[in-house]
Amino acid sequence: MKNNTNYLRFTLFHRFCHFLTIISFFGLVLTGLPLAFRGYGWARWLYELFGGYPTAGYIHRISALLTFFAGFLHFAWLFFNISIKKKKGFFWGPNSMLLQPRDIFDVIGDIKWFLGIGKRPNFDRWIYWEKFEYLSLMWGTIVMAATGLILWFPVQFTKVIPVSVASIVDVPGIALIIHRYEAILAAVFIFTIHFIHTHLLPEKMPVDECIFTGRITEAEFKHERLGEYERLKRQKQLDSYKVAPPSLFAKFLSRLVAVPLLITGLILVSLMVSALVVWAL
Amino acid sequence: MKLKMILHLVKPRYFFYIILASVMVISSRAAVITAAENETCYGCHDKNSEKMEKTEKARIDPVTGEIEVVSLKIDREAFSLTAHGGEDFACTDCHSSLEDAEDEDLEENGHKPNLKPVDCVTFCHDDPAAEFNESKHVKLMKENNKDVPTCKECHGGLTYHLSPYGEEAPMYVLRATDPLHRKLTIDACGSCHEEHLASYRNNAHGQVTALGHTTTEVPVCFDCHGKHTILNSSEPESKVGQDNIIETCGSCHANANASFVKHVEHPQIKNLNYYKTLLAAVKNYRKDPEALKKMVKNPQTILCIVFVAYLGILAMTFTKFGLHSLLGWFATVRDEYRGKGHSDEEQH
Repeated sequence: MKNNTNYLRFTLFHRFCHFLTIISFFGLVLTGLPLAFRGYGWARWLYELFGGYPTAGYIHRISALLTFFAGFLHFAWLFFNISIKKKKGFFWGPNSMLLQPRDIFDVIGDIKWFLGIGKRPNFDRWIYWEKFEYLSLMWGTIVMAATGLILWFPVQFTKVIPVSVASIVDVPGIALIIHRYEAILAAVFIFTIHFIHTHLLPEKMPVDECIFTGRITEAEFKHERLGEYERLKRQKQLDSYKVAPPSLFAKFLSRLVAVPLLITGLILVSLMVSALVVWAL
Repeated sequence: MKLKMILHLVKPRYFFYIILASVMVISSRAAVITAAENETCYGCHDKNSEKMEKTEKARIDPVTGEIEVVSLKIDREAFSLTAHGGEDFACTDCHSSLEDAEDEDLEENGHKPNLKPVDCVTFCHDDPAAEFNESKHVKLMKENNKDVPTCKECHGGLTYHLSPYGEEAPMYVLRATDPLHRKLTIDACGSCHEEHLASYRNNAHGQVTALGHTTTEVPVCFDCHGKHTILNSSEPESKVGQDNIIETCGSCHANANASFVKHVEHPQIKNLNYYKTLLAAVKNYRKDPEALKKMVKNPQTILCIVFVAYLGILAMTFTKFGLHSLLGWFATVRDEYRGKGHSDEEQH
């Protein structure tokens, strides 16, 4: 008999934020990428698919506002929990998204596991690469938002810069270069590293439904994060995370949404890589 | 007496105006008549007309002396959209009159092929032509033994004369605001100014036009550099010179200010020569510190540093994390293969 115990990993709020991030991220990538790869036929096709100039630009800006909204929700949630509800563990401990001393041991353990000289480390709630992805998402969003706003309102931003400085430091020009290459970095990172780390693992293929349904089975929990499982057991909190298994409909729906997006991302990244190959040859 | 006073009041130049007005009225009547005459031409030259068997002829280009094959057939619908496709243009306005060319059997044989070459300048476009021919751009081209472009080289494009060469025949004179015309001028300028075209493509404006959007909302070369008078940007009177640049940028970016117009429109980030000059300046710092100082003060330098930094970040990130995720992936496969995956944990 299969063990059908499920635990809640992501609350509805976090699932909603992830969904919002997906939608806005794809909106931004699909309308922005053609500009970075302007010399290729597929870029033209993609740009026309989203209405060309200026429609694609409007979609890009609306998606940017959605990203701002997701970012606002995230930081409002953090503020609410830290300052008002006075919850602990955001900056230190196993639940923190910030890097902790134990992450160094996790990295070493993980490398040992890669090389086949050790077992997979018993990770806690957040694995070091998940923390890195989270932190780079935060950092990347700030960089993209700042440079994007400069490009959106170049006249207003340059107004505050003295002419003597502006003639050496071309702020909109720098913003464009950063915006373009940070975008390529983010898009390729999400479509390869993030996908491989989470969704395209042999055990998860094609998607890790957990981020959509919020639930993981006991077996997955023990396999992925034995450290957290045992810690919760020790602290006698494990039962409070127990939930009913996700409905078949929820699983179906999450695949229905995620698989096309996954394929889109993989197509985009292969186009980008092919562009790199063409350029290199 | 009264009449004499009135006549006194009417100065001679008023008579001139009256005559001019009547000439204009008459000539407009003439235009109507000639427009109807176009039908005579279309009788044979329409692409659907079967009256004329010949569809093209060879001729010598009056300016370049090259022999070219031009089409004798016209797509009326396409032509009506061009700059000269309006109803008040007659074929004979540009193609000289047929009076001397009439064959005895016009109906049978058509007119003799002695039409004079089309002259854009003499009667109609003398202003831009003079402006263009006297511009420093053209003078510089002549000094450097470059072929000075003719009207058609920039204003041509698609053909309304149905040519086997299709889009390359330089006859279809597009309106100045036509996106196709604007797009073709980028290629025309870029055919000599290759580096400027490449660097323009690195910028926000150039990347949108590269995707094929060249409406008047997105600037092409001539929006900033001028049309027939093209001056070097170092000259104050240039459209992008210090006297005019705020106005030029401001025509799209409302309230453009002195700092805004310092923006680098032609980033050299992908130009190897710029990096070479930069390295040379660093090497020769002891001999010539001024050269390096000049390079550092050039806004291009920071752009190049940011660009190279990002290439480094991209390379670092993807080699490290690429390796990491691949190793992780293989390790997972290995565990599954050896039966250490979660499938066996599920059993106990």
